[in-house]
Amino acid sequence: MTRGRGWGLLAPSLLLLLVAFLVPVGMMVPTSFRPYVPLVGITRGFTAGHYVKLVTDLYYLEIIGRTLALGFTVTLLTLVIGYPVAFFLARSRSRWRSWLTILVVFPLLLNLVVRTFGWIALLAQNGLVNQALRALGLVDAPVKLLFNFAGLLIGMTHIFLPFMVLVLIGAIQNIPRDVEDASRVLGASWGATFVRVTLPLSAPGILSGSILVFVLAISALVTPRLLGGPTYRVMSTLIYDEFLQRLNWPAGSAQALLLTVMVLALILISGILARRVGARV
Amino acid sequence: MSVARPPALSLRRLRKTFGAVVAVDDVSLDAAPGEFLSLLGPSGCGKSTILRMVAGLVEPDGGQVVLAGEDITRVPVHRRNLGLVFQSYALFPHMTVFENVAFGLRRRGVGETALRPRVERMLDLVRLGPLGARHPHELSGGQQQRVALARALVTEPRVLLLDEPLSNLDALLRDEMRVELKRLQESLGTTMIFVTHDQAEALMLSDRVAVVDQGRVEQVGRPEEVYRSPATPFVARFLGRANFLAGVVAERDGGEVVVAFDGGLTVRAASREGLAQGQRVQAAVRPESIRLVPAGGGTSLPNRFPATVVFHAFAGQAHHYVVQLDDGREIEVVAPGAEFPVARGAKVQVEWAPEDVILLPGGEA
Repeated sequence: MTRGRGWGLLAPSLLLLLVAFLVPVGMMVPTSFRPYVPLVGITRGFTAGHYVKLVTDLYYLEIIGRTLALGFTVTLLTLVIGYPVAFFLARSRSRWRSWLTILVVFPLLLNLVVRTFGWIALLAQNGLVNQALRALGLVDAPVKLLFNFAGLLIGMTHIFLPFMVLVLIGAIQNIPRDVEDASRVLGASWGATFVRVTLPLSAPGILSGSILVFVLAISALVTPRLLGGPTYRVMSTLIYDEFLQRLNWPAGSAQALLLTVMVLALILISGILARRVGARV
Repeated sequence: MSVARPPALSLRRLRKTFGAVVAVDDVSLDAAPGEFLSLLGPSGCGKSTILRMVAGLVEPDGGQVVLAGEDITRVPVHRRNLGLVFQSYALFPHMTVFENVAFGLRRRGVGETALRPRVERMLDLVRLGPLGARHPHELSGGQQQRVALARALVTEPRVLLLDEPLSNLDALLRDEMRVELKRLQESLGTTMIFVTHDQAEALMLSDRVAVVDQGRVEQVGRPEEVYRSPATPFVARFLGRANFLAGVVAERDGGEVVVAFDGGLTVRAASREGLAQGQRVQAAVRPESIRLVPAGGGTSLPNRFPATVVFHAFAGQAHHYVVQLDDGREIEVVAPGAEFPVARGAKVQVEWAPEDVILLPGGEA
């Protein structure tokens, strides 16, 4: 294909990306350096104060740390829970297979707010989970599962699990069965084959699934807002409040840009990692 | 084949069905130690399933797999100590060539100091010595298949199973690998079970060939044996080309029979056991057993008929002809390529010896 024709095919999506993404994000850069005076608004001048505050103020650092911790934990949990499911779905010839696939995808068909409210009903002080725990005599007082890390973790793991499973199914299906059979004939037990052949060969899928879930998790807004309440904040809810409640656009812009940079850095690092792994696969 | 030694591998009444399809139907086979045994058949005949049952990758519904006297039918795959080479090579893409070959030794707990020389010696044997640090995707198809061979052989398997290992290679490379495979087998003395649909490959490489059709072994024998005296019409048809003629045994005459074919032709053929007068038979004559001679000339062969050349093609090693007999029947003839070609439309005679007629029971061609 000639170079010219390649650009022609890319043009529509490039244009969309430019107008809908690059320009607005670019416009946020100057805004993020403007001073903000309460009750007055954005004023003229230049300040790096919003950024300085972000990386020095413990309040903000805690939110950034919490966001990253949540992202990593949700990613790890979806991976640990999702891999066996994906493995079964990719390999099984059972008649349950299609039903289980539907079950995995089904949550995606439900409205996000509805799903999150479902979790509120389950996780609340006298919700189903606490009732069950108390009925079983496992706890005396209700466990706090809402408006904290545990609540967000449970809700977001559930909501992002289908993404992980779908990506992993594809990756596992791409592993030739012959290669695994070869390993077993060569003397590796099922477990050794899984560890030495199947798992390394599904690494590209694990990586792309993890990137997808991590990025979705640290930028999710609705679920953290509903399950975290107004006080247990992550970066996305912080940005939302900054823009729409405090009307402090410069600070919000700085926070949004930091989140963007974090995501881009992660994608970049994973890209390098993927090339290293991918070179061998 | 030595009778004293027990077979290296023995299949006893193996059977496998997939749903309603009988893939392998009551197959019994023995392979002598050091033997190169081919399972030859069309795709879907069950030959790969037989091989996978030997490897333990497919569980038989019935029957036994016996390895050097030991029943391994229920032994898990990874404890069988067999080698398997796949059509797809099935190399580990995330490991170097060296690591691929070392894999089986590591699983057997061979230490690093003992392992290195064994892997290197094996890589030298398949002429990949300097390529140990490469990854499979950096190698050509032929090189990849040699890695697969080295990987399977380095553990000194009791039997090496090969599942169409040459089918993914182009023609030139295939010829080269054939020679290499035979050379390896002779120098290592490994018992090899070779699955293929390529009759030329099976005939060239094997000590014995087992022809498989629809899950059953039709015939087992040395290559010349299955080629020259096929036991069934399927074997005759699958191994090389043949002209089939249907007729009735008209007369027995010492070691020969006279067969009268539908359409008036009579042919003398070397007799075989169990032929009665009046029995319907099929006669197969290989195209290369038939000689084209000029009209009026010829030798004293009893089967000689006037014919007209209706098609001629030159294929390097051979001339391919189709000739029409006077009764309208068309016959394929193959003559050595070094001979002078006979033009289309020429009036000739075709002749063949009675011993070149393969008589098979059954009337339908």
